[in-house]
This record gives sequence, structure tokens and C-alpha cells, in this order.
Amino acid sequence: MSLMKYESQVRPPLVVGDKDYHQVTEDIVRPIEARPSGLWWIGFLVSVALLLFGVYSVYREVVYGTGQWNLHKTVGWGWDITNFVWWVGIGHAGTLISAILLLFRQGWRTGVNRAAEAMTIFAVMCAGQFPIWHMGRVWMAFFVLPYPNTRGPLWVNFNSPLLWDVFAISTYFTVSLLFWYTGLLPDLATVRDRARLKWRKYMYGMLSFGWTGSTKHWQRHESLSLVLAGLSTPLVLSVHTVVSFDFATSVIPGWHTTIFPPYFVAGAIFSGFAMVQTLLLVTRKVLSLEEYITIEHIEVMNKVIVLTGSIVGIAYLTELFVAWYGQNTFEMWAFMENRANPFSPYGWAYWLMMSCNVLSPQIFWFRKLRRNITVTFFMSVIVNIGMWFERFVIIVTSLYRDYLPSSWATYYTPTIWEIGFYLGTFGLFFTCYFLFSKFFPVIAIAEIKHILKRSGDNYKEHMDVVEKKHSDELFVEAHAEHH
Amino acid sequence: MANKKYWQSFSEYNESEQHSRLAADEFREELPSVAADAGRELETSGATRRDFLKYLGFSTAAAALAASCENPVNKAIPFVNKPDNFTPGVADYYATTYVCDGESVPVVAKVRDGRPIKIEGNTLSAFTKGGTSARVQASVLDLYDTSRQRFPMANGNAVSWEQLDKMVGDALRSSGQIVLLSGTVTSPSAKQVISEFLAKYPGSKQVQYDAISYSGMLLANESSYGRRAIPSYRFENAKVVVSLGADFLGTWLDPITFQRAFASTRKVTSAQTDMSKFYAFESMLSMTGANADERFTHKPSEAGAVASALLNALNSGTATGITNAKLKAGIEKAAKDLKAAAGAAVVVSGSNNPAVQTVVNAINEAIGANGKTIDWSVTNQTKQGLDSEFATLVADMEGGRIGALIVLDVNPAYNYFDGKRFADGLKKVKTSIALSYKQDETAELCKFIAPVHHYLESWGDAEAYSGHVSMMQPTISPLFSTRQYQDSLLKWTGNTTSYENYFRNFWTTRTGSADNYMKALQDGVIEAAAATAPAGTYNAGAATAAATSVGSAQKAGAVELVLYENVAMGDGRHANNPWLQELPDPITKACWDNYVMVSPKFGREVLGVDLTSQRDADEYEVHTNKPNVSVKAGNKEIILPALIIPGMNDDTIAIALGYGRSSAGNDETVTARKIGRAANGAGKNAVGFALYNGATVDRFNTGVTISKVDGTYKIAQNQTHNSYEGRHNVLQELTLQELKEHPTAILDERANELKPWGGLKDFEKEGSPYPVYDRPGAKWGMSIDLNACFGCGACVVACNAENNVPVVGKNEVLRFHDMHWMRIDRYFTGNPNDPDSIQTIFQPMLCQHCDNAPCENVCPVAATSHSSEGINQMIYNRCIGTRYCANNCPYKVRRFNWADYTGADSFQDNQPHEGTGALNDAVFMMNDDLTRMVLNPDVTVRSRGVMEKCSFCIQRQQEGKLKAKKENRPLAESDASVACAQACPANAIVFGNVNSQSSEINKTRSEGRNRLFYVLEQLHTLPSVSYLAKVRNSPTAGDHAIEEAGGHAMPAAHEPAEH
Repeated sequence: MSLMKYESQVRPPLVVGDKDYHQVTEDIVRPIEARPSGLWWIGFLVSVALLLFGVYSVYREVVYGTGQWNLHKTVGWGWDITNFVWWVGIGHAGTLISAILLLFRQGWRTGVNRAAEAMTIFAVMCAGQFPIWHMGRVWMAFFVLPYPNTRGPLWVNFNSPLLWDVFAISTYFTVSLLFWYTGLLPDLATVRDRARLKWRKYMYGMLSFGWTGSTKHWQRHESLSLVLAGLSTPLVLSVHTVVSFDFATSVIPGWHTTIFPPYFVAGAIFSGFAMVQTLLLVTRKVLSLEEYITIEHIEVMNKVIVLTGSIVGIAYLTELFVAWYGQNTFEMWAFMENRANPFSPYGWAYWLMMSCNVLSPQIFWFRKLRRNITVTFFMSVIVNIGMWFERFVIIVTSLYRDYLPSSWATYYTPTIWEIGFYLGTFGLFFTCYFLFSKFFPVIAIAEIKHILKRSGDNYKEHMDVVEKKHSDELFVEAHAEHH
Repeated sequence: MANKKYWQSFSEYNESEQHSRLAADEFREELPSVAADAGRELETSGATRRDFLKYLGFSTAAAALAASCENPVNKAIPFVNKPDNFTPGVADYYATTYVCDGESVPVVAKVRDGRPIKIEGNTLSAFTKGGTSARVQASVLDLYDTSRQRFPMANGNAVSWEQLDKMVGDALRSSGQIVLLSGTVTSPSAKQVISEFLAKYPGSKQVQYDAISYSGMLLANESSYGRRAIPSYRFENAKVVVSLGADFLGTWLDPITFQRAFASTRKVTSAQTDMSKFYAFESMLSMTGANADERFTHKPSEAGAVASALLNALNSGTATGITNAKLKAGIEKAAKDLKAAAGAAVVVSGSNNPAVQTVVNAINEAIGANGKTIDWSVTNQTKQGLDSEFATLVADMEGGRIGALIVLDVNPAYNYFDGKRFADGLKKVKTSIALSYKQDETAELCKFIAPVHHYLESWGDAEAYSGHVSMMQPTISPLFSTRQYQDSLLKWTGNTTSYENYFRNFWTTRTGSADNYMKALQDGVIEAAAATAPAGTYNAGAATAAATSVGSAQKAGAVELVLYENVAMGDGRHANNPWLQELPDPITKACWDNYVMVSPKFGREVLGVDLTSQRDADEYEVHTNKPNVSVKAGNKEIILPALIIPGMNDDTIAIALGYGRSSAGNDETVTARKIGRAANGAGKNAVGFALYNGATVDRFNTGVTISKVDGTYKIAQNQTHNSYEGRHNVLQELTLQELKEHPTAILDERANELKPWGGLKDFEKEGSPYPVYDRPGAKWGMSIDLNACFGCGACVVACNAENNVPVVGKNEVLRFHDMHWMRIDRYFTGNPNDPDSIQTIFQPMLCQHCDNAPCENVCPVAATSHSSEGINQMIYNRCIGTRYCANNCPYKVRRFNWADYTGADSFQDNQPHEGTGALNDAVFMMNDDLTRMVLNPDVTVRSRGVMEKCSFCIQRQQEGKLKAKKENRPLAESDASVACAQACPANAIVFGNVNSQSSEINKTRSEGRNRLFYVLEQLHTLPSVSYLAKVRNSPTAGDHAIEEAGGHAMPAAHEPAEH
């Protein structure tokens, strides 16, 4: 080893396989240009079928009333809001990856941010369906928009956390969409430039907004990305905080809890990363992107999962402690009887949540398991089941036995149309995701090229040539250059 | 002049060239628009920004307009000539009388635009004093019953009245003995009509049949007092009351009167610090027993033994013949108290056995009740039927000795214990005529049906108590081709006078003048001068023999069955009234069905459900499927679901009467058409288990076997959890002893609780960081006395009627979708394994109209808001149905329209559908055009997807305020009331303006301040509804009893305020 080629291996490379810039473009754009595989078609059609079932389920609910669901006078929210909070939570990882990690200059984010951001947008789209369609009179949904009107004019109630949700979710969706699309521009231009078919050229030409790759474009792109990252960063914290206010500002024992904002944010990131894992493990396999989404990415995300999972666990224990320490009859009952008592009607849901969210992620303390793809995939599904149950436990077990025992409810189980609505949002999510993976680059081509250590590798290759030469020869060359 | 020209400038005047040019160019160019150049294609026309904005604006406006389009507008056509004394939109009130068999209650009917829509009690009545019951409240709906018989029928064919009269006249002349079978008739004029009719046909007679008979009492009184009558009871004079299975607050004799009288002895205030003591000895847990201070259970066959033991205990101090130590001690204790309160005590018995009632008469003599709490100067005439007379009639029918039977709106084919025998006997009667309201089980077997009016369409009178007459006048012209029975009888007697005239002449003569008659009609009541109560002449002769005979009337059979009447269904007559069907039973909180009430012991041993195990109890209460049991006696078997009810005697089961209405052939479609869509399929008929003891029908059966069978059945209950888990913030109860020793106990507890946040005085301000606003003017408030609420549910039905609360049907109640704005929460305390330890408490629960309402601030669209008068308002057309308000309501009183229950939706045809959320037929019945006539036009009918709840009958407050304003005077106490308070026979609910110092509500709150509490006060919701704590005149109360019994309650020693 000569002094000229001393290499300090601080961390493993983010992209493996000795890629050059052209190869990167080839690898990522290939699925867009090729015909979709049979597997893609199957997945896509299943998703569309689910979506259509969801549409029918919602149709039933809109035409025949919310009575199509098993909600009742005591449990006014069930699967609808559970699913809403769950989907919103899932969205959080994308924003965290794209915004916060950008600000913290985490290079590894480039491998996963595009897909994660897409996931955010689709998840928020799915989430948004629930608060809209769960309304008894959805055709009056526009009443929640504060605009000058002829009905009085009647204004919205700014005291209501549900109204805050309207603002939080719509802002979140808008900013996420802009951020995602801004990042897509150079890549869409790349696809456009490579396109041979006229319609492709036209379509991607439209989508890329006339991106030419000029320095000015790049400069504006970078600035805008930074601004949007700055905007998104507080949103990562605020959106789920606002969602948690739906519960925290209420008077219902089990909901009325000051710990909710941080606990919800941690839970959101927790479930979001799990969903990213689920999606990317499939995507990298199907689209052969193992060299871009490496085991290092997976391990890093598993570390986030074990961290946030433990935060969530501490939050659960804190709730229990405070319920005991506070000695408030109603809160005690909500936590000790409705939840922690394994033999109470919904005790199973609480302990399912506990084991999925708190116990099982602890296996990621072991490096070997962190880097095991099968284990990771399995765990990512487990975590999302657990997080779904967290929301279910909070919503349903608090409501079904609250202050007046006279109103304590019969067992709440969903009807087929409630399940159908949930499945429908899976349909929506995956329909969008399949279309996205077919028509858009699932990895940020331009951004991944930033972290391709191409200049260093070029230097090394050059030095390999130089090292092979005799020192005299080198001297002659050097001398000749001076003249 | 016509050509005169005006000019603005000299250049215009001169018509200069420059001016013409300028004038031509004033509007230099056309506003660009697509339409301006129609020759060009749209995409090439270069639609401008303005066009774009126009299109956008138009399409948005169109979409918004389309989206906000509501129901089609149905135009109302005004009168061309307005009738006199009638203003559209202004209600008229007519005094009349609710009559159902013998039962009669003076009422006032509210008539809006020609339709009676609400029944109120007549406050002029000396007995009911304006009280009503659930059945009375619901009776207005019967007027619009879709299954009414709408025309006369002969041999199954519709005929005209003329034809019918001719055919009936012919038939009656040629038949042999004519029997008029009626319920108890209390009407003086109708009695005269009947006697004239009977006189016309020699040999004919009248038989009175009471489905729930009081023959035992009548016979016992005949032997004890020489009068086959029932005295009136004066519970207001009683310091000690003992009930031996008499449900006198719910169904026994005259519960409306009894409730008011009894409640007056229960309201502990600063002025009245003592209260009566009430012992109950019974088999099942009745509504009345649930209100007892001390309660002891026994098997139904032991009722006589208990009565004679009580008599013995009164005489000798020991309850001889009772082996159960607890029961024995209870009887002795009751006897001691009765003796001490001699002259101010009363014993009532629900037994239909003459011997038992004779013993009870002896007891009442021994404690000096006669003349004090039992008044023989005024007799209760509502029950006159003798079971033996009816049994003889059935035998005569079977023997073919009856030529013609006129059934006057009674239904023995259904509710006689041996209905089949009656039905078979009826077939042997040559001429059978039903003067009937509908084609019920009996009428459909008759040759002729002469349909009768509803009482709201009728003239008439009733003398429930001797000397106290209540008048009846029609409030609407007959809806169908019906005729009141008096008219039919007059016709068949050959009298051409109409009953209206007959009635007028009758009362003009009796009252002395036409003016007096008119006044009586207006007042609705003619009250006899209050007589001092002379004692009946008691003859002790029969008592000893009776005591001996009942003392041995105890069987060793393992399980005994009680057949009881519940507050809603009665003898089954009300089965097609959806309001009553959906009224939860006071004890079981179940509706739309009957079931077998069993004890926790039975639940544990036979059903495998141990209510003392929280796991079992949870499992049992969260599922609506209840295990089926088979009840057998002789060759009779019935399969019904079992409900485990604490407080049931261990060896007793109970089934409610009045269910299982069914036409012959048991065809559901026929039943739905003839008897009604609400009655169809509701429960099973258990009356066949009753036993005839030779003189009277005993409504229990000693020889039943009960076993668990496969399968379950869904029971719709709107309350499933039975314990209030020791939550003081929800309910306060204490013993009279505790209250006397420490009168301010509750006040102190509240003060202590609120101390950190300003104490009782400043809690409103200090408990919240937000500013508190003054409320000048009216501030509405309500006080509910838990000591006077007996759980009967009159308020619930009154609320339904007043506020158009939809009926949702069994399927929806099962899914916890019931819509009642007013509900009565019922909690048990005590040890489930010891029925005698069970204490019950009723707590009416409705919107608390919180001044700091959790529901108001969470609504995103401000659809619920607070009025300056303290009413929490619901703005239906603003509501988008997020249900957040209902979730955040700590009292869970908000009700959501889960489906289109009323047909008020803008979506067409969205009511009938299969599968999830399918609605019952009863809902469709309620949406019939006929039934919808009962709707109160002052109250919006809510559509699907909106939230609703108690409004404090805001339409009434509004009407009252307008009235005061028109009369230019301040709002008076009498101007505004709420339906529930008005209906309550016990005056448990007081409503009024809290800001008025002289108001009844202020008086109630200040006199009852030692009992006053607010539910969940520490939440700082600042409710407008206050409660007065339950005081028990017993050694223990509430959760103290639980702790002693070792039941489970949350171990919370101290509950700090939620903050």
C-alpha cells in the first residue's frame, strides 16, 4: 500500500456494486422503461379489486348511514378513527427521512427517501378518507372549511381539535406532495431524455416542468428542497401532536392524557419506519435494487425502530404509573381494568399491543437480527399490527367503559363494511404504490449520484495505473509535464 | 316636450366629430368571452382568464348549490275558510280520560291542527293530580295504530254499519242467552246503557273479565268487610309500608296515585326530615321491591305463609312457620315497625288468593290501617271481574248454553290462562260479536266485528274512584269507520239516540244544568267533596281459617315461576305500541321481548355464569346472546332466553305477561296485519302457566322445571352493566341514619373535593382558566329527586312523544343504537349471591346542559352551542355527524341517527335493505303516514347522520316566553315546563328558571341542599341538572353494602378531582 492511495474505511459504502453514474441511471430507470412483470400485474389487480371493495363499502355507508358500522351510542369511534390515526402515523417516516435526515446530512437517506415520501403521500391520502367518510352527513363535509359563506356567515369552531386536524392533515399533505414532487423533477427529466416513445417524452416532458439541468435550476432546486425540508421538519412533530389532541384535549379517561403528543409522534415514526421496511424489502427484491437499498439501510432503520419502540414502551408504562399514582377512580379503571386486566373484554388487545410494540422490537438489540432480512420483514409487519392495536386500544377501550357504568357498552366488533373500508384503503395505497413504482423512479437518481463516491473511485483507479508504473517513468512524465 | 334634448357638454350639444368618436369608443372593446365569437372552436378561441374564472365560479357555485340541495319542498295549503276557534300552529287542549279496561286516568290531550299529539295528566284530579304513566303517555300512539280495524265486518267480509246492525239485530233476537263480556266498566253512563241493553234481552247478563284480576282481593274484602270492592289506599298517611308482592308503584291497582302519595313521604328536605319506611317481601325483583328500604325474598307459594307469619308476629312477636332465618327476622322487624306505627301503616299484597288477602285484611285491622291509610269511603272501582264468573262462562260456552257472546274489547283468547279453552268454547257460541279495537286473537274468532273508537275519538266518562268522575270528549273526528261501543249497544237496544246525546242528557240531569255539564266537560273531572274516611266494618270471622289455610300453602317444589305484569305491556293490550315496546323494563333494562328472569345462583349452577366473577360477568354483559332455557309445567313448555337478575329469589324464576301476541295459525304476516307490526314476534306468551285454584287465578306456578337448552337468543338491553362501581361522583346514596347524624355529609364531601379550585362557592370561576359570563334573564335548571324516582319510565315515553324521538326497533337497540333522550339508569348494589342484600337505585339521565360543556368545544362546525339561558343546543342542519361530541360527553346522553329512522332523509329509498343494519318492521310502522300524524310539529324530525339529545323541550320554553311577551308580563313559573317533569307521577323532576328566586327549582334546591349533588361535578362541566341523593331508611346504603358483602368495587379510597 502506497502512501498515495491510503484509504480510511470510516463506514461501508452506501451504494455497493461499484456503480458509475450511467449504471445508476440504467438500474433505476430500467423498470420504468420495461414492460411490467406478471407479478406487478397480479399485485396491481389485487389492489384495484380491494380498492373497489372499499368503494362499495363506503357507498353502503353513505347511502344507508353510519349504522352500516357497528359503532354505537357509547363507542362513537372505532375502526374509522383507528385506521385514520394508523395511516397518518405511517406517513411520518417518509417525512422524517426526507426532511429531518436531509437537514442532518444523513447520506443514507437518498437510497430510501423517494419511496418513503411516496408512501407518506399515499398513506396520508388513505388516512384522509376516514375522517371524511366517517361523517354522518359527508355531503356537508365542506362545513369544516373556514371560508366566507352565505350561511350566516357561519364560521368553523376553532376550539375543536378535529378542525385542527383538518388544517394539520391538509398542510401536511400539501407540503409532502410538493417536497416529493420537487425531488422528482430532475429524475423525471432524466426519464424524459431517455424516452424513445413520443407519448413518454410528452408525458415526462410535462411532468418535469421543463427541467434542463442548468446550474440555475439546480441552485433553485437545492434551495427549495431546503426550504421545504425546513417546513416539513416541524410538521413531523406537529401533525401527530395535533392528531393526539383529538384525544388529549377530551375529558374521557384514557384519552385525557398530557403524555400523548410525544408518545404519538414516537409511535408514528415507529410504525412509519416499519412500513418503510415492509415496502422497501419487497421493492428492492422485485426491482433488483439490492445494491442501492443495502443491508446497511435496513440496519439503520431497525435501529430507529428499536429506539422509537422503546420510547413508546416507556410511554405505556408511564401511563400506567400515572394512572396508579393519580388515584383517579375513572383513570384507574380505564388503565387497570379496561386495558391492563388481561381478562377484561379488550384485555387481549392491550397485551397484543404490548407484545408487538414493546417486547418484540427488543430483538433488534442483536446486530445479527438487525441485519437479517426475513426477521426484519416479519418484525415490520408485527410492529404495524401492534401500532394498529395501540390506536384501537386507546380509542375503543377508553370509550366503551367511561364515566357512567350505565352506558358501558356491549362488545364492539366491526361489520364487513368497516373492514371493507379499511381494506379499501389498502387497495388505494397499493394501487398508488404500484403505479408509482411503474411510472416513477423509486430511488432518487439525482440524489443518489451525490453520494456515489465516484470522484474518489476515479482517483483510486487512476492511482492503480500510476502505481503500476516504474518510478523513473513517473519522474519522466512529471518532468515532461513541467515543460 | 317629447323631443326635448338634454346635453352634458357643449361638444355633445354641438354634436362635434370628436364627441361622436369619443362616445362611440366609450366602451372600447367587448368584454372577451367565448360566446362573443361563436364561430370558433372552444380550444382555439383562446378562452381568457376571465372566462376561466367565470366557468370556475359557475361550476363551483353549481356544485355547491347541488350539494346543499335538501329535501324537496312540500307545499302546505292553507285553509280557504279558517274554522272558528282554530288557529293553525296553536295547540288546543281538551280534557278527557284515558280508559283501558277498568283503568282510567283523567288527562288533557294536546291537539295541534286537529290531531291529538300528546297526553298530559289532568291536574284537577284529586287522585292523580296530573300524574301519568308510561302507558297513558303512549296511548296517543294507539290512536294512529296502523293495524286498527277500520270498518265493520261480518263473517270475514266488510259490511256497512247498517248491514251490520241489521245482521246483529237479527242474530241477537234469535240467539239464546246473550252474554256481554267486558272488562271492568267504571263509566256510569255506559253502565246505564248496558243495563238497558241487558233489559231488552231477558236472560242476558254481563260478565266482567280482568286479564290481571283482583278477584282474590274482592272476595277477601267481601268476607272481611261485607263489600265486594277495593278500598282506596292513602299512602301519604303511611309511615310504614309493607308490600307483600304488590307492585303498587308500577302496576298494582292505581300506581299513578300511589306513586305521588308514596313519594310525598320520601322526599327528605330541611322541612321534612323524616321519611316513611318501606318493607318489601316478594319473590321476583319488582320495580316496587327495587324501591324498598328493606327487602326479603321468598318463593311465590310462600306468600300466604309470609302473610300469616306477619300476622302472628304482630300478635305474638314471632313469625311462626317461617324456617328461613333471614326472612323470619325480616318479618319480625317489619311487624315491630308496623306495630309502632299503628294507625299510620299499611300492608298491601299482590296475591290473587282470597285467603292471603283475608290475612292481609286481618293485618291491616291489627295495625289500625282501616280508616287511616285504607279508606272505605271511596272505593277503587277499576277492578271488578271475578275469575270464577269467567270460568263459569267458559264452561257454559263449552256446554253450548250461550247463544250470543258480545266481547267488549277484551282478549281472553290471548290473555286468559286457558285461552285455547275459551277459543274452543267460542266456536260453540252461535252469535259472537266483537266490539273490538282490532282483529285481535279473540275478535278474529268472532262472526261480527263492530270496531270501536279510540278513547280520544270517544264521548264518555269513568268513575275510577266512587264519587270521582272523569269526563271524556272526542279530540278528533273518527279516523276510520268505527263506532264507540255505547253507540252500538244503544243501536242494538233499539234506542235511536246517539250516545253523544245520551251522554249529554245523562250528565245534564246529574249535574243539574247544561252549564254544569259544560264545566264538567271542560274541567274533565267531577270531584266529590272530600269525605272523612270512615272505617269499613270489619268481620274477623274468616281470618283465622284463612290464616290456617295459607300457612300450609307452601310446596316443596324446587323451582317456582312468577308471571308478572310489567309497566309497559300490561296484559298484552299495549303490545303493538312501539313506544312501550322500546321502553326498557325498569329492572332488566330489556325491551322488545320477554325472557326468564333467573337468580345469580341459577346462573351459576345451570347457565355456568358466575356474576361474582368479574371475568364471567364481563363476558355475560358484553354479549347480547343470552342462553335459552326451557320452562316446563305439565304439558306446557316454553323456550325463552334467561336473564340473570340479582335480587331474584334463588328458587324463583319470572316471566312477563303481555308478550307473544299472535293470530290464529301463527302466521307472521297475518299477525303483523291484524295485531300489528310492532307486536309481531315480540316475546312469547307465558300466561298458560297460571293456575286456577278453584276460585281465582294464581299468577304463579309451583310445579315448573327449568333446564338449559341449546342455543341462544339476542336480548336487547340498553343498559348492560349493573353496578355503579362505588363511583360517588356518579351517585350519592346514604342512610336516613347517616343523614340525621351528619346532615351535611354530602355537602362536606363536595366542598372537600372542590376545595383546591375555589370550593363550592367559586368553583365555577376558579375551576377554569376561561372567563365566566353572567347569565341575566332566564337560566333553566332541573332537579331530580332520586328518592322519588321509582323507575317507571313515564318520563321516557313522554319525552319520546314530545320530541319525536324515533323508534329504532329491536335490531338497533341490540346494536346500542337506541335513541332515547331520557333514560333511567338502574344500578344494583349488594351481594349477588344474597338476594335480600340487593339494593336498587334509579337515576334518570338526560343531557345535563353543562355550562362548560365538553361536547360544545369539540364540534368542528359549531353545531352544538350554548344559549344565553344555559341550554346546550343542538343545531341539526349544521351537524355533519363526526360524533366527537358524543364521545366527549361524560354522561353519554347524545344520540346519533345511525340510519334513516324517520324517513326525513334526503336520500330516497334508503330505509329498506337487507344485511347489516336492517331495520325492523316497527320502524316502518312508525313511518307510516297514519302513524306520523302523532309527530309534534314544533320539533324537527331529525334525518340520518345528525346528533341529537335532550333539548330541555326548548320548544316549550320558547312558546312560554312568547306567551309572556304577548301578554306583556314577566315569565311565570307556569309558562314553561318539560315533558318529563310534567309526566312524572311522583314529582321527582322539577324544572324551572334558576334565576327566579321564587321558583320551585330554587326552593327544591335550597330545601334539599343537604342531598344535592351534581353528577361528575369535579369535571367542571357545570351541569344544569342537579340530583338529590337517595336516602335509604335502612341500615346500609350503596357501596357500604357492597363492601360488607365482599363484592368487587374499585379500591379507590379517595378520588381527587379530574384535572
